[in-house]
Amino acid sequence: MKIVVTVKLVPDPNAEKRIDPQSKRLVRSGIETVLNPYDEYALEAALQLKERAGGDSRVTVFSMAPETLRETLRKALAMGADDAVLLADPGLEGSDVWATAYAMAAALRKLEFNLLIVGGLTDDSSTGAIPGALAEHLGLPCVTNARKIEIAGGGLEVERETDVGYQTVRTPLPALLTTALTFGEPRYASLKGIMGAKKKTISMTSLGDLALELPVGTSGSKTDLRSFAPPPARGKGRIVEAADGLSGGQAIFDFLAEKKLV
Amino acid sequence: MKHVIVFAEHRQGQTRKVTFELASEARRLAVALGGKACGVVLGSGAAQLADALKSYPLDVVYTSDDPAVDGFLLDPVVDHLEAAARAVGPSLVLIPNTISGRDVAGRLMVRLGAGLVADVVEIRVEDGSPVCVSPKLGGVLITSCALRPAEYGVVTVRPSAFAAVPSGPGAEIVQLEKSARNYPAAIERDVEEGAGELALEEAPVVIAGGRGLGGPEPFDTLLKPLAQALGGAVGASRAAADAGWVPYNLQIGQTGKTVTPKLYIAVGISGAIQHKVGMRASGTIVAINKDAAAPIAEFSDLLVVGDAFRIVPELTKLIETAKGHLS
Repeated sequence: MKIVVTVKLVPDPNAEKRIDPQSKRLVRSGIETVLNPYDEYALEAALQLKERAGGDSRVTVFSMAPETLRETLRKALAMGADDAVLLADPGLEGSDVWATAYAMAAALRKLEFNLLIVGGLTDDSSTGAIPGALAEHLGLPCVTNARKIEIAGGGLEVERETDVGYQTVRTPLPALLTTALTFGEPRYASLKGIMGAKKKTISMTSLGDLALELPVGTSGSKTDLRSFAPPPARGKGRIVEAADGLSGGQAIFDFLAEKKLV
Repeated sequence: MKHVIVFAEHRQGQTRKVTFELASEARRLAVALGGKACGVVLGSGAAQLADALKSYPLDVVYTSDDPAVDGFLLDPVVDHLEAAARAVGPSLVLIPNTISGRDVAGRLMVRLGAGLVADVVEIRVEDGSPVCVSPKLGGVLITSCALRPAEYGVVTVRPSAFAAVPSGPGAEIVQLEKSARNYPAAIERDVEEGAGELALEEAPVVIAGGRGLGGPEPFDTLLKPLAQALGGAVGASRAAADAGWVPYNLQIGQTGKTVTPKLYIAVGISGAIQHKVGMRASGTIVAINKDAAAPIAEFSDLLVVGDAFRIVPELTKLIETAKGHLS
C-alpha cells in the first residue's frame, strides 16, 4: 500500500497564545512549531496500515509550509514515515482555504499513492474543510473521522465517528481518510527512529513544478481577512472559600440568583 | 451572492436547533443581499423536516428522499446540494459546523468554486458582500473575513450563534431529481449512541467534570442531577475522557467540542489551555475546585474552593427547592 499523510506545522497547541497589543500579531517568541496534533493520529494510522499491508508499502509525509520549517518534518520521519515532500513557495503566502486546497491537490497529484490520510482538523485555523476539498479535487472517495480501519477485499472497511454515534463504511481504493482522536495514541519516536530520520529524504517542490492554471496566495484567495483582535477580556471573578459554616452550594445559588440564572 | 441557502442536517426528519437558527439568519441575510432564503433537506424523513421548516422564514425548500443519501457517505448529499445551489443561482450557503457539515462544506467549496469561512458566529453584509466573524486559534483571535465578490460563498456556522425566530408564510417545496450516479463509499451500519441526550453544543447550561471527580460514577450521581435541575447537559475535560470515565463525544476543549452555554459549571477541572479554548466564550462560568490557585480561577466569574462532593448536592437541592416553590 502506498500511503501519503498530509501534515500541517502549527504553533504548539499547549502554549498559551496571546496577541501583542501594539502590533496586533500573535506573539510567536518562545512558541515552538510542531506537527498538528490531529495529523499525528493520521500518521499513526498510516504506519499501522503499512505494517499490516507489508510488502513494499510506504508512507510519505506531505506538507505545505515555509521552507524554514523543513526540519520540523523530521519528527514525522522519526515516527516512521519513509520520506517527506514539502511544498514551499513564497507565492503561497496568504493562501486561504480555497487556494491552500487547490495548491495541495496539485502537488499531491504528482505523488503515487492509493491512500491519502489527512488529520481531521488543524489546531490553528481549523476550518475542517481541507479533507473534503482535497477529495473533490482529486476525485477520491472521502471517509472522515475514522476510529478503526481494516483492509478488506481490495478496499477498506472503516468505522467512523459521527455526531451521534458511529458508522461502518466500505470504500474502494484509492481513497481519502481522516482520523478521529479515538483512533489510538500516536507512537513516540524511538531513538533509532530519530537517528534514522536524519538520513531520510525531504524532497522540495515549489509552484514552478505545479503549472497551476489559477493563482494562489493572497491574490488567488476567495476571502479577505479584514481585521483580527483579541476577544473582549473577561474580568477576574470572585473566589469564595467553602469551609465549615459556609455552604459552597448556597454561595453558588446566591450568585446564580443574582445573575438571574436560576 | 444574492440568495442564501441553508443546509438542514437531520436524522430521519429529526433536526437540531441549529437548523432553525440558520433558517432565521438566512432570512435576515437574504433581505440584506436582496435575494431569496432557501433550504435544502435530503434523505429519509426529508418531507417531515421540510414541513417543520414551514414555520420558519424560508421562500423555497428543496427536498429529495433519494435513498442514496442514507446509503452512501456524503457524495449524494454534495451532489444534491450542488444541484440546489445551481437551481437557486448565485448564493451564500450556510452549513452547520458539525462533523458532517465540515465535510460537506469543503467539498461544496470546490464544486462551486466558492470562498469559505469556517466556524462563523456573526455575519454582516457590507457593500453587498458577506463579512464573517469567527474565533481562531482556540478563541485567542476574533477574525473578520470578507467573502470576495463571486457567484457562491460557503460558511460553516457555529451552533447557538444565532437566534431561532419562527415566522413566515411557509416555504414552497421543490423536489430535487434523484441522482443517477454510482457512489463509492457505502454505509453498512449506522449506529446512534447516547440518543435522546441534549446535544452538548446546544445546551443552555453545561455541567462539566474533570480529573477531580476521581472516577466515572460522579458523572451520573453528582453531575447529572444538577444538569437535570438546571435543564442542561453533562460534559467533561480531556483528562476525564482519556481516563475512560465518559465517552469522547462529551469532551469539551481543543480536541473536543466547543460550547457556549449561558451557564458553564466546571467541577474538579483545573482549567488547562486545552479545556479553556472549548468553553471560554460561555456566558457565566462557575468553577468548583479544591485548589484556589487552579488556572480556572483566571477565567471564572465565581470560583468556590471546597469539596465538590458536598457542594454539588447542596446546590442541586437548593435549585430543586426553588423550582418547587415556583411550580
